Amino acid sequence: MSGIAPILEARRLSKRFGGFLANDAIDLSVEAGEIRGIIGPNGAGKSTLVNLITGVHQPSAGDVLLAGESLVGRKPHEIARKGLVRSFQVSRVFGNLSVIENLLASHLADARMRETHGQGFAKATRLLELTGLIRLADAPAKTLSGGQRVLLQAAAGFMMPSLTCYLLDEPFAGVNPVIKDQLIALIEEESRARGVTFVIVSHEMAVMRRLCRKITVLIEGRVVVEGSLDDVAARADVVAAYLGKSLV
Amino acid sequence: MFSFELFTQALLAGIVIGVIYALMALGITFIYSIVKMINWAMGEFYMLGSYAQYLIVAYWLGPDLWYIAAILSAATVFFAGWLIEPILIKPMFTGGIERRDDYATVVTIALLLLLRNLATAISGPYQRTPGTNLPGVMLGPLPESGARFAAFLAALAAIALFTLLLKRTWLGLALRATSQSRVGAQTSGVDVLSLDKLAFGIGVGLAGLAGALLAPVFMVYPTNGVVTTTKGFEIIVIGGLGSVPGALVAGVALGIAESLGATFIASAYQNAYGFVLLLLVLALRPSGLFGERLRQA
Repeated sequence: MSGIAPILEARRLSKRFGGFLANDAIDLSVEAGEIRGIIGPNGAGKSTLVNLITGVHQPSAGDVLLAGESLVGRKPHEIARKGLVRSFQVSRVFGNLSVIENLLASHLADARMRETHGQGFAKATRLLELTGLIRLADAPAKTLSGGQRVLLQAAAGFMMPSLTCYLLDEPFAGVNPVIKDQLIALIEEESRARGVTFVIVSHEMAVMRRLCRKITVLIEGRVVVEGSLDDVAARADVVAAYLGKSLV
Repeated sequence: MFSFELFTQALLAGIVIGVIYALMALGITFIYSIVKMINWAMGEFYMLGSYAQYLIVAYWLGPDLWYIAAILSAATVFFAGWLIEPILIKPMFTGGIERRDDYATVVTIALLLLLRNLATAISGPYQRTPGTNLPGVMLGPLPESGARFAAFLAALAAIALFTLLLKRTWLGLALRATSQSRVGAQTSGVDVLSLDKLAFGIGVGLAGLAGALLAPVFMVYPTNGVVTTTKGFEIIVIGGLGSVPGALVAGVALGIAESLGATFIASAYQNAYGFVLLLLVLALRPSGLFGERLRQA
């Protein structure tokens, strides 16, 4: 796969909060169509990295490029419209909107899509079928269980008309096995059918092994190693960072 | 003293004025739910609307075209809000301000003082009226002034239009999504900051419309927004902050409470009955009739 221009790139990306260097000159290069995993112990700077890439925080130094175009200084909604979409660790569903309205809200980004909102409904319906939420389509999203919210939030990202690269921040945390499988199926389906690129931050090693050929390990704000899960898990410094516990 | 006819009259009068109050409350609650701030200068936008109505009717269109004047007045106030928001309110989100509530309170109270004193400086302390030649009407047993009944109908139409906008359009969906989660809406590609501008304009536009409609009923003077704003805030607390149906139901409830109290207890305390209702609601349902209890993080 080498030789293909990366769709998402971080160059020497750094973020300082007061005296604390949360991200220290991170280099990351994700190829189009790849499903990349990011792991690391708590406090390694994974969420900070996602926030820097998606414009929630501004980097102290360094650059982020989507298909070669710099994203630094862009507002979060502009980045989303360019096709770089994210999910949040804490669910951000719109509680008082119905489940299907939650999906349609992601369709707002592109003015042209509003005129063809029939397609939006069709797509939303398909996603609800894929996730098994279809019978709850008209229920307010606040009535969903925690796992169902995670699923809905992830599905909302797929509604973005321009989606090319999807950053999922801890999508499997606190989710029951059935919903976890639905979410994995959704990711595999969108990866295969639309060639969406994924960057997945997660602690779920079994899922990461199944989805990601390449894993980036973050420790104390730095990238320490990249490779297959079994390769990186064998490294002594990775094992040590996880308090001596074996990863797999 | 009690007669069924008198009761029906008071009830109808309460509903008529309650719907107009609700317009004001709707503006307050709408701005709060999108921009996450209380606009204390709401009464001054009401005042601007009433002056606009006065100027347009008295010097240009005449009282026959009061409804066109009201639309123009509301539009004027909308644009005033649309222009003011990026200057005064937007820094709340972009200026690195930590205590946003405090910031919004200070700037909108400053705006209140500025607008009120400007009005006094320009037009003087006089009470003016755009005049009306609408004939009185009979609502069942209730004889009602034409201007008040017209204001009631126009307020109903505005509320219906506003509800349609929220429920049936893409813009409405974006507004509802933003009211639920600003970050979530941004992630969906919604430009929340320009939506703020629009929402602030629409919110103060509703107040301006209330001012324009009530100009011939309650007169036009620099502090005429005070009473209606007070009612607006009472309604918000009764109905629940951020709730559109709450604003409507509580508006009508407040109108009825005042009207019944004034008719059957004592008319001198008309403005106090609403507060009694408010205290009752606070005692029984502290988050308001339709309010959601916020979870403390």
